[in-house]
Amino acid sequence: MNEFVETILALEWHKPKPAYDVVIIGGGGHGLATAYYLATRHGITNVAVLEANYIGSGNSGRNTTIIRANYGIPESIRFYQHSLELYGTLEDETGCWIMHSTKGLLWLAHTESAMRAERARCLLNQACGAETVMVTPEEARSICPQLDLSGGGRYPVLGASYHVGAATARHDRVVWAYAQGAMRKGVDVLQHTPVTGLLRDGERVVGVETPNGPISAGLVLSAVGGNVSTVAAMADVRLPIRTHPLQAFVTNAYALGFGPIISDTELFCYVSQTARGQMLMGAEFDPQPSYSLGSSYNFLQSCSAKVTHLLPFLRDLRILRQWTGICDISTDFSPIMGETGVPGFLVTTGWGTWGFKAIPAGGEQMAELIATGRTPAMLEPFRLDRFARELPMADQGSTGTR
Amino acid sequence: MLALETIPGVRAAADAAAIDGMVVAEGAVVLRFAPDEVFIMFPKPGRELNEGFAQAIIARETGFVGCWLTLEELAARVVAHIDWALPVERPALAQGLVAGVPAKLWLESGRALLLCAAPYAHELTERLR
Amino acid sequence: MQRADRHPAPALAGPGRIVVDGAPVPYQAGDSVAMALIRAGAHPGRGGTLCLAGDCGNCVAEVDGIAWIRTCQADCRPGLAVERHPARGGPPLHPVAQPDVTRPPVARRIPVRRVSVDLVVIGAGESGTAAAANARLRGRTVLLLDAREDAEVVAIYGGPTVIVRSSTGMTHVHAREVIVATGAAELHPVCPGNGLRGLLTGRAAELLHAAGIDLGVAVAVGEPPRDVPCTVVAGRLVRIEGTERVSAVVTATGEGLAAAEVRTPCETLILGLGRAPRDLLARMSTGEPVAVIGPAAESFPLPPAPTAGIVCPCAGIGVDDLEGVWQRGFQELELVKRASLAGTGTCQGSVCLPHVRAWVASKSGTVPEPFTARPASRQVTLAEAAADVHLDVFKRTPLHDEHLALGGRLDRFGGWWRPWTYGDHVAEYWAVREGVSLGDVSTLGKLIVSGPDVVELLERIYPNRVGNLGPGRSRYALLLNERGHVIDDGMICRETETRFVLTFTSGGAANAEMWLRDWIETWGLKVQVMDRTMSLAAINVTGPLAGQLLGRAGLADPPRYLAHAHAEVAGVPCHVMRLSFTGEASFELHHPVDRSVELWRTLLDLGRDLGIRPHGLRNLFGLRLEKGHVIVGMDTELDSTPHRLGMDWAVRMDKPEFLGRSALARTALLPDSRRLIGLTMTSPVPTEGSPIWSDGEIVGHVTSSFDSPLLGRAVMLGWLKRTPFPEAVEIDGRRATVTRPPFYDPEGLRARA
Repeated sequence: MNEFVETILALEWHKPKPAYDVVIIGGGGHGLATAYYLATRHGITNVAVLEANYIGSGNSGRNTTIIRANYGIPESIRFYQHSLELYGTLEDETGCWIMHSTKGLLWLAHTESAMRAERARCLLNQACGAETVMVTPEEARSICPQLDLSGGGRYPVLGASYHVGAATARHDRVVWAYAQGAMRKGVDVLQHTPVTGLLRDGERVVGVETPNGPISAGLVLSAVGGNVSTVAAMADVRLPIRTHPLQAFVTNAYALGFGPIISDTELFCYVSQTARGQMLMGAEFDPQPSYSLGSSYNFLQSCSAKVTHLLPFLRDLRILRQWTGICDISTDFSPIMGETGVPGFLVTTGWGTWGFKAIPAGGEQMAELIATGRTPAMLEPFRLDRFARELPMADQGSTGTR
Repeated sequence: MLALETIPGVRAAADAAAIDGMVVAEGAVVLRFAPDEVFIMFPKPGRELNEGFAQAIIARETGFVGCWLTLEELAARVVAHIDWALPVERPALAQGLVAGVPAKLWLESGRALLLCAAPYAHELTERLR
Repeated sequence: MQRADRHPAPALAGPGRIVVDGAPVPYQAGDSVAMALIRAGAHPGRGGTLCLAGDCGNCVAEVDGIAWIRTCQADCRPGLAVERHPARGGPPLHPVAQPDVTRPPVARRIPVRRVSVDLVVIGAGESGTAAAANARLRGRTVLLLDAREDAEVVAIYGGPTVIVRSSTGMTHVHAREVIVATGAAELHPVCPGNGLRGLLTGRAAELLHAAGIDLGVAVAVGEPPRDVPCTVVAGRLVRIEGTERVSAVVTATGEGLAAAEVRTPCETLILGLGRAPRDLLARMSTGEPVAVIGPAAESFPLPPAPTAGIVCPCAGIGVDDLEGVWQRGFQELELVKRASLAGTGTCQGSVCLPHVRAWVASKSGTVPEPFTARPASRQVTLAEAAADVHLDVFKRTPLHDEHLALGGRLDRFGGWWRPWTYGDHVAEYWAVREGVSLGDVSTLGKLIVSGPDVVELLERIYPNRVGNLGPGRSRYALLLNERGHVIDDGMICRETETRFVLTFTSGGAANAEMWLRDWIETWGLKVQVMDRTMSLAAINVTGPLAGQLLGRAGLADPPRYLAHAHAEVAGVPCHVMRLSFTGEASFELHHPVDRSVELWRTLLDLGRDLGIRPHGLRNLFGLRLEKGHVIVGMDTELDSTPHRLGMDWAVRMDKPEFLGRSALARTALLPDSRRLIGLTMTSPVPTEGSPIWSDGEIVGHVTSSFDSPLLGRAVMLGWLKRTPFPEAVEIDGRRATVTRPPFYDPEGLRARA
């Protein structure tokens, strides 16, 4: 036994019922968190979460587990900061161990234009309640002694924004914590139950088709990641979303000795050390849209080259495993949450490469929308109709990808 | 280190059919960058394209730098830095990344010309050092 | 790869000795590190069964400064430094001294070979060798790879491309077809005591015995090894006894009440428990032209479901851990793996997968499919992965060295190295405003477009009028996408009826070229395009004395404002464009890159008594801000329409058609919700990006700010995003005045002078 075997929480599986008040498609973090908050905050427990595979098998289990709020527009900063704070209390609230660890994140800048963007980020973060400060190269080095300030002679560090509250947590355990909490309140989580169609009554969505038969629902929420365009099309909803693969890799486990999260404004790579000691690395999403979960050596090559420029000690570490998730990228690089214009059908999507950090706030706010029928103020900017209203939430520079 | 020097020539953008029918002075080397674009190196300076080259953009071009390599130099200095297969026929123009730099290779039977745009010259020489 | 920097060869080392944890250990020719350690009576790892075939993680150690090396796969050489991993926690993260930046990075020194063949066969065992020979007979080019011959296959990627690691570098093999003939791996025991030392698979025992290593009192359970002196004990394995090292094995025969246990003392226990396909590569390569042959493709019977002992030695997971997570509701293979972490260690489940599958089958009644296999099969370091990888190219203008010689500090902007400042940025500013200055604008995008349909093309591409522009005249234009959002800007210069020169921003040039070519093809227009961005350098001669300087350089009759002409300047053929970004009279001299240094130096010489000095980007950004000119990408956002930028004047909605027109017509009906405005306030100047406040709320942010030496106050551009747009705003806790740019010379008299 090692200390990372799950010994605290327990999952209780239930038999499906023919009808629920709310059916949530997608048993990842967002779907399960929504069910959890529906049950715990609003007393709505006649809820089913349908998962095509096993819970957390999609992007919830494929991300690089970074929690941060250092965004570039007030609406996003407030939303992600709220999420970051919910993460900070999630262990206390659920009694689960999600391996939450506040680490701080350095976002390195190598050019004057990057410095300009990071200075702006710090000012707006502070104004909106997120703690982000500019640091000098020397300060960055004291936060991360392994940092090569010359950037391998090619990417000299001019400075960095330091997001003090950034954290990581074990992605699977976040999924399970929400699943357990929801299940205990009576939510049914149905694994291996893909949705093959939607039940309609006129325009209204009134349930889902599954290989095990139809399930009727007062309301259907798509919390699908990666295949949302397919699910939305079943409701005749077109989303401004493209799906791209995103890859990551880990090394073997090493003694703990790398405290912060390192990220880069130009190289779009990020590095942290997991609680188990593995060095976890990722980079920008693949430029070609695809639903493929296949890995590429090009990614391993370029990501390795990038991170070793900044952190030369990584060069002698051996790569254990490489994997891929698929990301729904909206045209403004911000999430899409809420009503779709089709009665009875809601979405929480567009989670791109930034969905993990948003699980608590996304779930909480979607639950409030479902329970009250009103879009909470925090979600208002992220409604789907913002595109028709020409009010996109453009913030690509904060996503750590391009 | 490779010494890249300006490779002067004439660059022409024209309808693909017009380029297909183009007549150039004897001894000129014609590099077909694209169906609608050629780069022509003339054996003697001052030579120009023939007339009747309809609707073309023709410009003296000094924006490419390059150097001629022996086959041994090509194998030793360049081939290790490309991850695509060289064409087998000769002569042939190949275009792609050389050590990550956008470049072109003009392959003759006994030698090869490595070309890149002038702003890339420094990085290309550094990377092939 | 020689890695002597961290572990200089110690004096202890000599021929025939490696250095393990600081102490010499002799070896014999042909020994792997693991064998040398076993020969010396030690276990290369912490305990557990050794396969000596590269399958398990029980013999890993740090070798030559690199941890997680399977020592059974590492050859000995004199002085080789081996550090065993600590019993708890991982091997240390070694700090690396600041690298020598004058040398290429270490990854550059790992050679990469690239090979193309018809067929790659992985595994030079019986079936692999036969398949390779067969293919060769049929005239195909074949590469036969085997880890035992220093060719470890890391993974098979799309293509298929096979990545091979060896001690002399990396090989990338492009193949038409791949045959995986990796054979089968021997099963490890899962029972109490299976973490002790002295446990060997049958093949490992054969290998050690053949190498002349004394195994002591050896007992074999299951299928006995060939030619290894040992006592063969019948029955099934129950448990292994001992403290650190095995002292006895307990086996049982019979079932139920008739079961009888037998305890057999031993010093070495040899286990012939069966095999499982060595199929990690085969499983990670589905969908490619990859065939699996031989034992790797066989379906061996699963071992009996384990009831106790370590099931996953890499992660230290016992059968009781599996039981624990199962009880907690993790009741399928993938969830068991994630909740227990079994199979997530360095061998990627090679050891535990058959046992975990058998165990899950015993609980659920169904044999689960193996869990997903992902690269890497054999591991590489990041340096090996990064070998011969080059990151983005940084472009240099022909004046790069001139800037350095003048003390310029270069910064990268839009993919180019550009001068940020030459040191005295205040003097640079006044040179532009009061004298004459040079700016290197070689990085501007420059396209020639020509053809019978060129006017139609440009009328459809640009939102302003193009057809009424006379030859020799130029006009500023925005570039919009179909949604009416500004994606770039630049000048349209008409040369003849059917020929134009277009300029774009430095960072936007490549996109702009693709944008034009795409639309030419979509609309089927007869227009030729030639990108001259990297062929022509450009120097901006700007300031009230610019005309005087150009006169000295032989340009007696410079073009009027917004005109352009081809002329020689100081003997260099130039396309001279009269415009103004700085607010002063400005002449952009576009000229062949190979003449740029000559032109730059001549102009500096000619202007010496005029106080000429070059200006960098830092000043350019401030100078243009005084004029209120936006920089696309700095002041604009993804959704910036001309209206939101206050640039309706650059759009002619009376044109019947242009890209973005229908979107602009639609959004014109929406309420105004975002607006780029001018702001002024007293010094000190707020930082770019500062929030703009009104009534205690954030209503927008500053996009650009400049402490104007001429105006003696801060001038800014910024977004207001709260409606109704507030008139009283605060920045940095101080009042700022919302105004309409330009802040300087609003009539544009100086630019036209």
